[in-house]
This record gives sequence, structure tokens and C-alpha cells, in this order.
Amino acid sequence: MQLRKGCLELAILASLWGGKLYGLEILRRLESGSDMVISEGTVYPLLSRLKSLALVESEWVESDGGHPRKYYRLTTAGKLRAIEMARVWSEFSSSLSKLLEPLAKAKPAKEK
Amino acid sequence: MNMTGGSGAFSVGGRSGKDSPGGTKDGGTIGGGAIHARTADARVDDYLEQLRKALAGLSGETVSDILEELRGHVLEKSALNGEGGEVTPAAVENVLAALGAPEELAAQYMADDLLERASRGWSPLLLLRGLLRWASLSAAGVFVFIGCLVGYFVGGSFMLCAILKPLHPHSAGLWRLADEGNSYSFSLRMGFGSIPADGRELLGWWIVPIGLLIGGGMCFLTTQIALWCVRQYRRSHAPGRG
Repeated sequence: MQLRKGCLELAILASLWGGKLYGLEILRRLESGSDMVISEGTVYPLLSRLKSLALVESEWVESDGGHPRKYYRLTTAGKLRAIEMARVWSEFSSSLSKLLEPLAKAKPAKEK
Repeated sequence: MNMTGGSGAFSVGGRSGKDSPGGTKDGGTIGGGAIHARTADARVDDYLEQLRKALAGLSGETVSDILEELRGHVLEKSALNGEGGEVTPAAVENVLAALGAPEELAAQYMADDLLERASRGWSPLLLLRGLLRWASLSAAGVFVFIGCLVGYFVGGSFMLCAILKPLHPHSAGLWRLADEGNSYSFSLRMGFGSIPADGRELLGWWIVPIGLLIGGGMCFLTTQIALWCVRQYRRSHAPGRG
């Protein structure tokens, strides 16, 4: 569960890499950019947490729809953290891939 | 127009000002559509009101920020999912269901925030509330919570004893009580009962300064140790670590 939460935090930080987005856009990007099924009830509290950790900052922007949108953008600390997390994640995933190689090639053993 | 987050510029719950009296909204329809919009709005208000109650304890600014953001989310997403860009009650229900029960959503918002504020502040009550939340998440939290409770209890007892000494000069204080055989025990008495028969008071009036000092010191130490634990926990659970 801890791993999943950490991944989701990294995913959110990564989604903001290109510039500021508001909640619904972040959700859309997470869903389109990956096959992850992400609950909105998880993403909003996480955004609030990332904000309290000063990794993102937010601003309200009026929209045409009549409802102001809360846009998030990465802070400098957030960018550094995202880079750091991405590096750790790549190392982790490549070493796991190496470990999984035999399994990918293996064929299910036939029962004798 | 830009507004900084947390400005508290948005009222929550009382949105009536934004709707025109006729019930048209976002260039919406009249008649059936207006009724739709109104019941859907009432449902969103109801949900956000429950959430607001469950978020009690966070600062008003933070709460109105959260509620306004979620209101925008629900209305925009419902409009996307609803028929012809209209916010229908069914679409609202779906979006609210995806957000989850207000209490569960609030718990996710609160879990970190309570510890966060507790770790910055000095309030023992806030600290205990944060620790209780932590205790509901992990065994380490239970341990720290109980330790903290004991620390405050003992520290508080010493201070209470010191305060009650002038009111019960003959019976309050630190007593040495004879038990069976050669053994004896110490008892911190508040002076409400009778004077122990085979006991001896140890400190006399010194209990006032000593009790305050020991009691205050214990409360201080308890707070410091608990805060240290909270900081260690937060550090190990910050994103990208642990």
C-alpha cells in the first residue's frame, strides 16, 4: 500500500511536469497516460498532501464554466523530488526486470 | 482573474448568489433542466456539507479550499458525463460515488494533516489527536500514543498535587506508605481522602515547587519525545522515501 501511494505521488508530480493543471486534468492525464485505475477520492487528498509538503503550489483561476478551478504547479522542491523519485523508480524497475527475466522466458512446466 | 489558493474567497454551502433566479445555469435549459440542476445542486451541497462536518479540525481556510475544489470537480465532471452537457442528478450521483463516502474522503485528508499540525504546534490535545489517528494506522502509533498518555498522566498528577497542596495542606503531597513486612510504597495524594494511618509525608510544602517542576518537566519531555517520533515517522513516509 505504501508502494502504491508513493507511485501515485510520483505519477501526480510527473503529470505536472509540463505545466500547471487542475484536478480533473490531472486525473485525465493519469488515466490516459497509463492503465492505472485511479480513484478521484485518492488523488484530491494526495494533491492536498503534496501541497502541504510544498512540492506543489496552487492558484484559483476563473473558468468559462462558472466555477473557479484550482490549478497546481510544481515548485522547485517538487521538481527536484520528482527527478529524484524518477531516478529511484527507474533503478528499482530495471533491477526488478532483471530479476523477472527468467520468469518471462519460462514456459509453464508440464505435469509429468 | 487569478486568485491565490487559500484566500478563502469562495463561500461554501451558500452558492445561491451564483445562480440566477430563473434556475438557468451555464446557458442551461429551462423547465425540466432547471429542476434537474436544482436537485443535483442540492445533492452536491448535501455531500459537501457532510464532508465539511467530517473535516472539522482543519482550518476554515483549508476546508473551504477543499470544498470549492471538489464542488468544481463534481459539477464539471457531471456535465461531461451527463446528457448534452447537462448536470443530471444521475451523473452527479456517479461522480459522488467515485469520490467515496464523505467520511472516508475526509479521513484521507485528515490523516496527514493532523500529524503535520501536531508536529508543528505545542498543543497536547492536538498532539494526542494526531497520535490517535496515527495509532489507527500502525502499531508504532499505538505505542507512542500510550506512552504519551502515560507521560501526560504522571506529569499532570504531579502538577495537580502541587496545586492542591495549599487546599489540603495536611493530606495532599507525596506520601510514603508502609506495606506488609518491610516494604513500602510511594503515593501521590491529592488530599481528598483521609490521612493515611501508617504513612509519612515526605516533602511537605516542597511538593509545590518540586511537583510543578517534575510535572512540567515530564509533560515537556513527553511532548518532545512524541514530536520526535512523529517527525521520524513523517520523514520515513515522505514521498520518495521508505
